[in-house]
Amino acid sequence: MAVDLTPVERPKSAAPWTKISAQSKTLMFLASTVPAVIYLALLVVNNFDFMSSLLVVFLPMQTVASALVGLKIYGRRGILDGLLVVATLFLGSFVFVLLVSVLWSVVQAGFATLSPQFIYQNDVYVTPTTGLEIGGVGHAILGTLLVVGLSTIITVPLALATAVYLTETRGKSRGLIRTLLQAMSGLPSVVTGLFIYSMLILSGFTSYAGWTGSLALIPLMLPTVSRVAEEALRLVPAELRNGALGLGASAWSAFSMVTLPAAKSGLVTAVLLGVARIIGETAPLLLTTSLANKTNLNLVEGGISTLPTYLYGYVSLGYDTSIQRAWGAALVLLMLVGILFVAARVASSTKSAKKRK
Amino acid sequence: MSELTEVVPPKRKLKVKASSTPDRIFYGIATAAAYSTIILVIAIMFFLSLRAWPTFEKFGFVNFIFGSGWDNTLESPSFAIGPMLYGSFLIAALGVILAVPMAISIAYFIEFMAPKPLAKTTALLVDLLAAIPSVVIGLWGLSIFSPVGAHWGEMLHDAFGFLPMFENDADNFLRTPFIAGFIVAVMIVPIIASITREIFSQIDQDLIKASLALGGNRESTFRKVILPTAAGGIVGGVLLALGRALGETVAIFFVLNLVFDEVNWFRIVLPEGGAIASLILSKFAEATADEVSALLAAGVVLFAFTLLINSIASFIVVKAQPWRK
Amino acid sequence: MSTAKFYLESKDINVWFGERHVLKNVSLQFPANEVTALIGPSGCGKSTFIRTLNRMHELIPGAGLSGSVYLDGNDIYDQEVDPTTVRLRVGMVFQKPNPFPTMSIKENVISGLKLSGRKAEISDDLVESSLQRASMWTEVKDRLGEPALSLSGGQQQRLCIARSLAMNPEVLLMDEPCSALDPGSTRRIEETILELKESMSIVIVTHNMQQAQRVADKTAFFLAEDGNPGRVVEFGDTEDVFNKPVDPRTNDYVNGHFG
Repeated sequence: MAVDLTPVERPKSAAPWTKISAQSKTLMFLASTVPAVIYLALLVVNNFDFMSSLLVVFLPMQTVASALVGLKIYGRRGILDGLLVVATLFLGSFVFVLLVSVLWSVVQAGFATLSPQFIYQNDVYVTPTTGLEIGGVGHAILGTLLVVGLSTIITVPLALATAVYLTETRGKSRGLIRTLLQAMSGLPSVVTGLFIYSMLILSGFTSYAGWTGSLALIPLMLPTVSRVAEEALRLVPAELRNGALGLGASAWSAFSMVTLPAAKSGLVTAVLLGVARIIGETAPLLLTTSLANKTNLNLVEGGISTLPTYLYGYVSLGYDTSIQRAWGAALVLLMLVGILFVAARVASSTKSAKKRK
Repeated sequence: MSELTEVVPPKRKLKVKASSTPDRIFYGIATAAAYSTIILVIAIMFFLSLRAWPTFEKFGFVNFIFGSGWDNTLESPSFAIGPMLYGSFLIAALGVILAVPMAISIAYFIEFMAPKPLAKTTALLVDLLAAIPSVVIGLWGLSIFSPVGAHWGEMLHDAFGFLPMFENDADNFLRTPFIAGFIVAVMIVPIIASITREIFSQIDQDLIKASLALGGNRESTFRKVILPTAAGGIVGGVLLALGRALGETVAIFFVLNLVFDEVNWFRIVLPEGGAIASLILSKFAEATADEVSALLAAGVVLFAFTLLINSIASFIVVKAQPWRK
Repeated sequence: MSTAKFYLESKDINVWFGERHVLKNVSLQFPANEVTALIGPSGCGKSTFIRTLNRMHELIPGAGLSGSVYLDGNDIYDQEVDPTTVRLRVGMVFQKPNPFPTMSIKENVISGLKLSGRKAEISDDLVESSLQRASMWTEVKDRLGEPALSLSGGQQQRLCIARSLAMNPEVLLMDEPCSALDPGSTRRIEETILELKESMSIVIVTHNMQQAQRVADKTAFFLAEDGNPGRVVEFGDTEDVFNKPVDPRTNDYVNGHFG
């Protein structure tokens, strides 16, 4: 009995469950579009207030439409199913709307302020009513780079070493340290500012200066970098490490020659996430560094402006031009955050790309 | 033939010991760094409490925490954070109430509803929202959202003003707890959404298969299997977001009218409110010596509360999922 | 085969995962009130096939199918057939026990009725009879309110069986239900299967040939050779398949020449 064993190519119609009748397709299409169209028409004609009519006119219509279609296609149980879809999409789209609103306003208002001069000049000659042709965020950008840079230089080794402690040693305090790091991550940012202020400035040890701001940012950055770094180290398969140890390597060589290279992209991600965490922090810096108009490259002496404190300062002034400057600073800050965001994504996809190889 | 003894030799102490100098240095540095964490936390608590103590001593814990009025006159200062403390919680609660439905919906959409590419894009957008610094959201809140929020507040007042919640006798709907709460919601939606997403994705697929095999459809599976299983973790995520909302400083400062003398209990569209973190910010610049101590005391109270909430959050997440292996 | 009408029947079922053809022309008839075992080496498509019988196969991304499955004369893959209605009549018990962890024992038993919107049928009598049919009423009758996870592995699996029974299905599909259990629990479940076939048809995938011989009236032997899609090599009365197999490959498999 000869039976043909060979595989057959998959036919076009190999998913019978996706075949929905034309009637059902039409109903679903109508249910998604008709309420919206009717609502928009009513909106234009009657000039309703948008938000309240959205809730009172559109939402009920759409709910009823989806429930009816669900009833028709799936029977009684389709009603709740339809409602679930409506609720999820309606509420979820709010998030989308908010995001677009924030991003769009920053881009639109910030772009109007942006100019080459705005980026590199400082505000020494700027009064609250000076036009936008003079002055800029140059000093604030440098300030951010310096203050955040110092924090990073101090925090990253500390956090990485802590992550090593948590993953490589059998120390008895590991649970305690993890709990404390968790506690630290819940620290309100204004409280870390107060801490540095009370410890260093109030006690007279120093006055407002950039480096105190850097210190205030450390408790905010440390838990993030440490947590992500710990995860990255954990993800390195135990077999790799055990292989090295089995060959007689010391703990340090196993770590430096096997674990560390394997976890490299994860550690880079940890650092980038840490920087992104603190680059927008305002409150701690307001309590420790004071604002300055001029460019100050000295972290040890004198007030220094950073992008977030610059933004805060100009919003507080309240004039139209000051608000515009604030938007400009917001856009620059957002661009910096964007770069970090993209870099972090690239770093973590490098990790998965390497795994695939 | 030797006897087989029943005696078990005593347990050896197995310790990971540094075998060489490089290893000793390696472990030494790691341990030192880790212990510096302990030192840091202790230092924070110590220094804050030290400077805050005079205030607690002078006014008493209860009076300071629950009383009202902030008066920094030099002869007879009087500081109390009651309205601020309550206000922080009110705004955080508003933020959570507004954020949770949005966050869970979008998490459900990403994990269970959307086709893969759309889900990935949506997840990216949520992460993008999380990355926006809160000071930028504060600026948006002040310039763009406040008029809209005031308008909504007015409408709520017109429609439901008979409810005490929407009372307003000031004829001005700007700088209200409602607006502050909404802005806080924008900040915490990504936090809750991320945690919820992670919990959804960790639900054992076998449970969902079991539900479908029993004749469950999308909605009944969500309501009776997915949500109950995820509930504990979601509550934990919400508490974490609550902690974050309590600590929010600048954005609330931009959009809220701080009133120190009396508590605004529930009139959320009235332009009177409080928030401890914003209190600190607003009074800091020109604070008298006594006042500085009081501000530090306020910071200690805030820290204590966020610590408490974060601990409860971790506890709940663990407790609510006893089946987690 | 006889011409008796079969309650559940598959005709020319072909399955693809993406472009890969994994099952070819599976045509089997499952008589009412009989137990049919599906045996064969790992990876030849037995579990995949069983999932086509209650429309769980389509939940896998990239799944493809052609052919028909007739339940009481109607093709379950017809257009507009709601898959959830199929699953109400064709129940499934999985390899790893999966009771709902947030629910108690009693709540698990009635969970199917709640999930499928049949709340009116819920009653204490139904809970008792389902647990009895799964041979576990006496063990749990005093602790119905306790969490389902407080049960042992074998008990959890019997709870899953009770849960499916509460739906009063006409067919029960079992995908290696005992492979994660100890021999004692396995034996109890096999006894349960023999009792259950009085009221329904059972299709059971199993790796254990002795189990097939113990419980099954009919047996189908699946095989996938040399990268070709899986097919049914032999199907007939269990006794014949094991003692007088027609195909030499069946002979090799049942005598343990390959696994």
